[in-house]
Amino acid sequence: MDIFLNIQGLFPFLFILGISPLLVGLINKQKALLTGRIGAPLWQPYFDLLRLTRKETIYAVTASFVSRLAPVVAFAAVLISSLMLPIGYVKPILSFNGDIIVFAYLLGLARFFQILGAMDIGSSFEGMGAAREATFAVFAEPIYFFTLGSLAFISGHTSIYDIYHSIRLDNPTSLVFIIVSSISAFFLMMTECSRMPIDDPNTHLELTMIHEVMILDNSGIDLFLYQYSSFIKIMIYAIYEASFFNPFSMQNPWLGFSVFIVMLLLLTALIAWVETMIARFKMKSIPQYLLFATAIGILNLLIYTFVRQ
Amino acid sequence: MDAVFLFGCGFIIAGAVIAATVRPLGRALTLFVAAVVPGLVMNAGFSIERIVSLPSVYPLIPSIPWCEPFFRADGLALYFLLVVTTVAVPTIISAHSYLQQHLGRGAAVRAFLVSFSLLLLATQLVVLANHAIVFLVFWELMTLAAYLGMLLEKEKEEVQKGSFIYFTTTHMATFILYVFFFMLHAHAGSWFFTDFHIAPDLGLLFYGVCGLGFLGFGIKAGFMPFHFWLPWAHPIAPTVLSAFLSGVIIKTGIYGIFRVIEFCSPLPAWIGILIMVVSVFSAIFGVWYALAQHDIKKLLAYHSIENIGIIGIGIGTGVIGISYSVQSLIWLGFGGALFHTFNHAIFKTLLFIGSGVIYQNFGTRDIERMGGIVHRAPWFTALFLVGTLAISGLPPLNGFMSEFLIFKGFFESASALGKYFPLFMLVMAVGLAFVGGLALACFTKIDSVMFLGTERSSLGAFTVTAADYAAMGFPALLCILFGIYPQPVLGIITSVIANNRWGIALQPYTIFAQWNMLTLVFVSVLAAIGCVFAAKTIGARRRAAPAWACGYRRQTPKMQYTASSFADEINSIAAATLHLRTHTSAPETIFPKRSKFDSHAGDFSEETFVAPLYHAIVDRAGAIESLSRTDIRYYILFMLIVVLVYGGVAIVWTYF
Repeated sequence: MDIFLNIQGLFPFLFILGISPLLVGLINKQKALLTGRIGAPLWQPYFDLLRLTRKETIYAVTASFVSRLAPVVAFAAVLISSLMLPIGYVKPILSFNGDIIVFAYLLGLARFFQILGAMDIGSSFEGMGAAREATFAVFAEPIYFFTLGSLAFISGHTSIYDIYHSIRLDNPTSLVFIIVSSISAFFLMMTECSRMPIDDPNTHLELTMIHEVMILDNSGIDLFLYQYSSFIKIMIYAIYEASFFNPFSMQNPWLGFSVFIVMLLLLTALIAWVETMIARFKMKSIPQYLLFATAIGILNLLIYTFVRQ
Repeated sequence: MDAVFLFGCGFIIAGAVIAATVRPLGRALTLFVAAVVPGLVMNAGFSIERIVSLPSVYPLIPSIPWCEPFFRADGLALYFLLVVTTVAVPTIISAHSYLQQHLGRGAAVRAFLVSFSLLLLATQLVVLANHAIVFLVFWELMTLAAYLGMLLEKEKEEVQKGSFIYFTTTHMATFILYVFFFMLHAHAGSWFFTDFHIAPDLGLLFYGVCGLGFLGFGIKAGFMPFHFWLPWAHPIAPTVLSAFLSGVIIKTGIYGIFRVIEFCSPLPAWIGILIMVVSVFSAIFGVWYALAQHDIKKLLAYHSIENIGIIGIGIGTGVIGISYSVQSLIWLGFGGALFHTFNHAIFKTLLFIGSGVIYQNFGTRDIERMGGIVHRAPWFTALFLVGTLAISGLPPLNGFMSEFLIFKGFFESASALGKYFPLFMLVMAVGLAFVGGLALACFTKIDSVMFLGTERSSLGAFTVTAADYAAMGFPALLCILFGIYPQPVLGIITSVIANNRWGIALQPYTIFAQWNMLTLVFVSVLAAIGCVFAAKTIGARRRAAPAWACGYRRQTPKMQYTASSFADEINSIAAATLHLRTHTSAPETIFPKRSKFDSHAGDFSEETFVAPLYHAIVDRAGAIESLSRTDIRYYILFMLIVVLVYGGVAIVWTYF
């Protein structure tokens, strides 16, 4: 029953819950600065969330119980999967052999219900977003297994915590491997968090959107759940990405944590920069882009396997 | 205890007698269900009781000594007996409401019920048989009973075509199995399964035997590229039967493959790798073809191919484990395969029964004409939703659990075997993840097009009977139970694998030690869902209004996303491989006129080699058609010639 004594393990969870809106605020602020605007305050995402909780929730007359259930399931699944992520040296509450599989499939559960919730309205706008989400998910799923999965295969660990702690950056082969993996992981992050080259989180031009158009008919508390889970999702993938380069976490907890924070900040700057510099891709070319990321992963692993031998 | 099994079979036979004799037909149907269900429950209880008492294997029916050597209830047989009987119960219950609409057919329904009970009996005895001839007799009986059952609506052309394809294909498979068992007999000098063994040092003979075995049973199981009969046979059978076909009958192929692994041991590692590659192709293309279908039963038939592929991946892992004698791989690979066999049987039965209810109400299997069922029958929708979540392999349901074991097998083999295995297993893991993504797309498609939104065609009433709820509720409950608390089933699987005859002594092994963590995860997900939902329901103000949808007014049901448009983007990527064809006729005038679009998904293996082969044979046969006189003496001459050829081959085989 040591899991209940692991109070420390609560820290990553609380960190993700509390800081994730700030992370989004940071990205938005930097994007504003890069485009020459002052932008909304850093705390704006918190205000937005707070405002949504006070709003009335409107359900379409064509909607069923699925619409009421979908945001809840999506939120709960993302919430519980965030319990499996380590920050620095802190072991998360839920850490066991095979949690990388559970993690991926819990996010799949969230996606399943989000698609159903969108299709429940019976409008072709939501249908368009849902169909795109389903399509791109098919190509995003392999990237996850090519990045974290290949580390798992190399290290022989199947728990996210153990995998990150098996990373050694002192050897040039593994350093190159980690760098290339993190590039694929960045592609994955942009897809999963509906960021710029794939999806535009800001405009409301429905025909071009994926994630935004799926939640068109959600309001009030349901929109709160969707927004908050999308913030948490960005945080999850940011941690996922930032933890690739954290060689100090075992030796020196505080140094490890500071490196981790610096990594997160750098990542927000990178996202803001990419979103400012790159226009959104054509919908048709997104599968190619994702397959490209997969191909990098394959090539990388091939090189690693044969250089090692 | 054997009395229970005898009584169970007795009840099933009694069901057949009732179906044939009792009048009127409506009462016969009710009595049939009332007789067969207790029989199946008894047999399920029998198999659990025997599995618990493993490793000691008792004779099947000690009170009838002469049949003792012909049947053997070992772990594998009992496990498949459990699968067959568990899944048959809801199928039979749903038959009660499904057949109501056919009562006017009279004798055809009676014939269907009699052949269904024969099918139930034969399937149970197939897995228990320990003698090659007995096995083949029951195998043939099973095939024929299923064929006769398919003919309930024999006046329809698609039924005639589909059942013919089923009949010829399974007979090809049976023919291959004849050769397989004769070769084993020639080698072992005995007809008993317990005596069959063939080792790889025999070279070509070994590979020939195990190749024939895998081919014969693989056709039955529906591995690609021998899957072509499934999408024909499953849609045309009465839904009750297609549930059983997809849930159980193709699993007898998996059972056979397990027996082949037993007879031909130890298999070399490359066969395991080959099995995995074939399986991963079956899984990926099975689900991709499914995505292109509009016919709900055809779609589910393609999903059976996908799931057979997933089971095959597990079997391949286990075979690699045997050849390198790595214990953990055998446990995880075969354990995952056996567990997925059971799970697939459960959720596929649930989905087929559900699709049968929908077919009854809509009178069509085309999902493009459905929609909005959720407003008519929310509980029915919820039960179907459980099935789709389970088949997509999502937690916390049973489909995830078996896929999890198979994933663990990949990681385990990568770290235990080294060399090129990490790379190979990673590709397999990515393949399985890809299958998961496609399955998610496919089942969100059918859930949303069939159940959500508004009705595309006007529908009088949507009736779901209590029997349907019972028949769907039972497997849905099992899906949830096996997902959240899989320990009892895993205990059964552990004792089945521990009592193997794969020629390898297994150390005690806990398939996965941290189930409590998984259970904790799932319970916390459910708890979080419950808490947030309760908080939301209590706290939030609600209001209903027309859908906003960017302010577009007068949405009509026709404007909704259809199944084809939902899947279009994914399908267009592999359109050539999928043999996807679309026909558009849109007049290019200023004012809109009636335009038309239809899409059709072919099948790679059917169009590239099965159909050409079939036509080539038919054409060649046409050349000797002139020989077919009405005179019976010619036929007798032909038979004599064939017998002589077989006899000649047998003599050559024996003496040279």
